[in-house]
Amino acid sequence: MDLVYFEELMFTLAFAGYTLSAVLFFIFVAMKKESIGKIAISLTVAGFGIHTVAIILRVIESGRLPFTNQFEFATSFAWGIVLCYLVLHFAYRFTGVGAFVMPIAFLVMGYASMLPKAIKPLMPALQSGWLYIHVGTAVISYGSFAVAAGLAAMYLIGERQKETGDGKTVLPKSEVCDYLSYRVIAFGYLMLTLVIVTGAIWAKYAWSRYWAWDPKETWSLITWLIYSVYIHLRFNRGWKGKPAAWFAVIGFISVIFTFIGVNNILPSIHSYR
Amino acid sequence: MTIDKFIRRLTSLGLAIILFIFIAAYSIIGTVLPQGLQREFYIESYPAMGSIITALQFDQVYSSWIFRILLFLFIVNLAGCTLRILPGQLKKMKKDHFPKPKPDGDNLHAENMDIQKFRGILERKRYTIVEGEKGFRASKHRIGNIGSSVTHLGIIIIILGSFIGNMFAQEGFFNMLPGDVKGFPQYGFSLRLDDFRLGFRDNGTVDQYYSDVTVLRPEGEEWSDTMWVNNPLKVDKVDFYQTSYGWASSLSILGPEGEEQNALLRNGESYFYQPGHLTVYLYGYFPNMTITSLGEPITMTEQELNPYYAVILYEFGNHVSSDILEPGQSIQYKDFKLTFTDSSLYTGLTFRKDFGYIFVMLGSLLMTLGLIFSFYFYPKHIQVEEKSIRTITRQNTWGFDYQVRQLVQQSTEKEE
Repeated sequence: MDLVYFEELMFTLAFAGYTLSAVLFFIFVAMKKESIGKIAISLTVAGFGIHTVAIILRVIESGRLPFTNQFEFATSFAWGIVLCYLVLHFAYRFTGVGAFVMPIAFLVMGYASMLPKAIKPLMPALQSGWLYIHVGTAVISYGSFAVAAGLAAMYLIGERQKETGDGKTVLPKSEVCDYLSYRVIAFGYLMLTLVIVTGAIWAKYAWSRYWAWDPKETWSLITWLIYSVYIHLRFNRGWKGKPAAWFAVIGFISVIFTFIGVNNILPSIHSYR
Repeated sequence: MTIDKFIRRLTSLGLAIILFIFIAAYSIIGTVLPQGLQREFYIESYPAMGSIITALQFDQVYSSWIFRILLFLFIVNLAGCTLRILPGQLKKMKKDHFPKPKPDGDNLHAENMDIQKFRGILERKRYTIVEGEKGFRASKHRIGNIGSSVTHLGIIIIILGSFIGNMFAQEGFFNMLPGDVKGFPQYGFSLRLDDFRLGFRDNGTVDQYYSDVTVLRPEGEEWSDTMWVNNPLKVDKVDFYQTSYGWASSLSILGPEGEEQNALLRNGESYFYQPGHLTVYLYGYFPNMTITSLGEPITMTEQELNPYYAVILYEFGNHVSSDILEPGQSIQYKDFKLTFTDSSLYTGLTFRKDFGYIFVMLGSLLMTLGLIFSFYFYPKHIQVEEKSIRTITRQNTWGFDYQVRQLVQQSTEKEE
């Protein structure tokens, strides 16, 4: 049995771990039993550890970080989501957040599982150290936006619970969801800025132009503009609550389109499959 | 509307938001509609919308006047906004500035806390302490006040740098065969291609493209270097990039009297042989040819392991024959003998001189620094008075409260 077998096994186990933890988080939110929350967190940590092993095995197989095709980015993206979630969890200990973030990680892992996993040699344009900085920051940025979208969804549901008079909740206070979502978006926005800047530097080295209005570049800019609107309204107009939460969700839809939509629908020099 | 009111509107956040949305929406159109094609394409492909597309320049979104006007307005708005807010921000950076806490803000004071210990913790956390009448005030990260202005300045420099840079940028593409010399009199040097090589992997696929070049100067100085994708060559202020490659194939046509004409054809090129009214079309040179299930010739690799030429011959524009030839193998048609003798790799290079890039990088650096200032070095103030601890910050009130509560908690813990 070779490394490929173990990598696929670890990937499948991580996927199973994330799936189960997402289900348990839901049960935790519904039943409000702390022990279930603890199991869900433990499963998430275990899944993340196994996922990290899967990624390391792929790094050993390919001799590079897994950032070069749709499968590799999808698995790294899911890893980034869980990493951001765990950092947030261990900083603030809001277990219920997992019920809204882990389903996103599950969906991205599900998407990754449907993609061809073969390791292909790097095409000349990708043979650059900038690949790791550019895509690495994208993994963290997209992961942050996913967590922010989960927090925003939690805010919206928390508000609905308030409206329906359901006082019992294990979710953080709406105000906290709102603030955390903003802070996570601010981090993701900074990372997205670095994604765009490092992409421009790399494009200058590889293709002579730092900006060519390629659909991927343009959609990254559009995503950046959407979050710019969010940050400005939030900071200067005190935009909070529902509109801000909806905006965080819209921003994440743009992130997903930039990743999946542009690769599959629009002709782009960034469409690495 | 008074001038003051007009300027306020022009530099307002409201206009900035509208511009963000318009720029994003206009950019989306550019990613959905094919760009830069002939007007007829849009009229035929989108019968109902074709004339609107061309009238609003949706066919060339990023170079359209509408887009430029949007960007111009954006710069004016951003610059005006920055000039408006900067004096206030600079004022807030001064040590004597201390904002008032919100009246409805939480009091973070804990009954059993040790104020002196709390003060010590703040000092260790690099807060600047200023004595007050009823207690003290602690402040940190005043630099964060100018974060947004630094970001705005960075964005202005990026847009202006790229706009002016693109206006004056010089760019071109050229192909070279080994031994060719390309002169750049405007820059005072020439470029000679010494060799062009493909790097192969074990499975025969191309790993990298290498162009060995020598820079020649009129005064006799010369130096050699190798460029490949992601490793451009810089000569003075001009950058050269490895962009493409291809095969150039040598065609020889022998006439009835033994007269010979030679031509160099790239894949997809034709040569018109006037004496016989023949057109020789090189469909392709396939260095390692195989035939697909659809009967199409393709090359499996770029290694010359099984080389063949696919050639189509026309006479007076009428199809005469389609042939697959080995190197050196001839087509005899009437009194004419056509032979593809051999093929050589040529390199495709791009050159670009763009002084705007340095400004774009400077702007990017400022923009990133500004964001770091805004999000992570945002001003934090703590007012400590008798039985009262209040935090003041605009950026992250809940998070800052959370941090200060933890510090208060630390100050309640008894040291062993």
